[in-house]
Amino acid sequence: MSNSLLRVVSRIKVPQRAISSTPVFSSNIVLDQRLKDEIYPKIGNREVVGFGINGQATYIDKGAFPCPAIRFKEDTPEILKLREKEKGDWKSLSLEEKKELYRASFCQTYSEMHAPTGEWKAFAAALLFAFVGAGWLMAFVKKVVYPPPPSTITRDWQEAQLQKMLDQEQGIIAGVSSKWDYEKLEWKK
Amino acid sequence: VATAVRQSHGKVETDEELDNRYIAYFERPNIDGWEIRKAMNDLTGEDLVPEPKIIIAALKACRRLNDFSLAVRYLESVQWKCGNQKDKIWPYIHQEIKPTLDELGILTPEEMGYDKPELALQSVYDM
Repeated sequence: MSNSLLRVVSRIKVPQRAISSTPVFSSNIVLDQRLKDEIYPKIGNREVVGFGINGQATYIDKGAFPCPAIRFKEDTPEILKLREKEKGDWKSLSLEEKKELYRASFCQTYSEMHAPTGEWKAFAAALLFAFVGAGWLMAFVKKVVYPPPPSTITRDWQEAQLQKMLDQEQGIIAGVSSKWDYEKLEWKK
Repeated sequence: VATAVRQSHGKVETDEELDNRYIAYFERPNIDGWEIRKAMNDLTGEDLVPEPKIIIAALKACRRLNDFSLAVRYLESVQWKCGNQKDKIWPYIHQEIKPTLDELGILTPEEMGYDKPELALQSVYDM
């Protein structure tokens, strides 16, 4: 199923005629009936124009592949009339006609393909919601789940604890009491 | 900057050889729609911004095939290949190809109004 257009490549050759009076080239791709039956129900009346990205007869807008395998819009009589006009001098086409021709072959222009979508805002919003949710969760856990903190954590207890350590001269050589000046009753500088 | 044609072994193609290969391909008098599109896709896949002379050969091939929109599409892809150096590279390219553009009546994407998005396409994820 993949590379359905690969078989067409062999058909696009200058015919090996012994005597050829006119150079033969076609801008239209000729498909055999089997390929036509395979492809056209899926793509409708659109002209196959090339190999595209991978040989599938699909239309894809991609920056790295300017030329998809099929034209974008179906061939209507108006567009075919424009194509006839296209065979003449391009300066005689108005801007509207040129745009019409472009949109007939292509869906999005490059700037439309690569235009910012604003999708990042959705991600940023989700992230902030996640932060808020985490905050609510933490508040709930602190209030409901955790036991009360130990009493030894309060400032008063710790100051009394330090005073007791100094009174008992704990660490008098190299520890905390060695940094306390017992004469002046302040910390040593 | 040299580019390799195939894999890591074998002869590495110089810039001039690459340019000449593509110019010769586009200048074939009986090139057809399939081949020109393949060449454009390949050239867009190369790690370079094409030289103005290659672009001119491609535009002339579009003229032979009577396909105006393909020419504009290719110019858009050249602009895209410039990446974020577009304001340094595109003015030079535009200046070099302007005679051809005027001669063939091809508009640049800016002149078509396609430098900004014109139509919006609904994303398939929003349907």
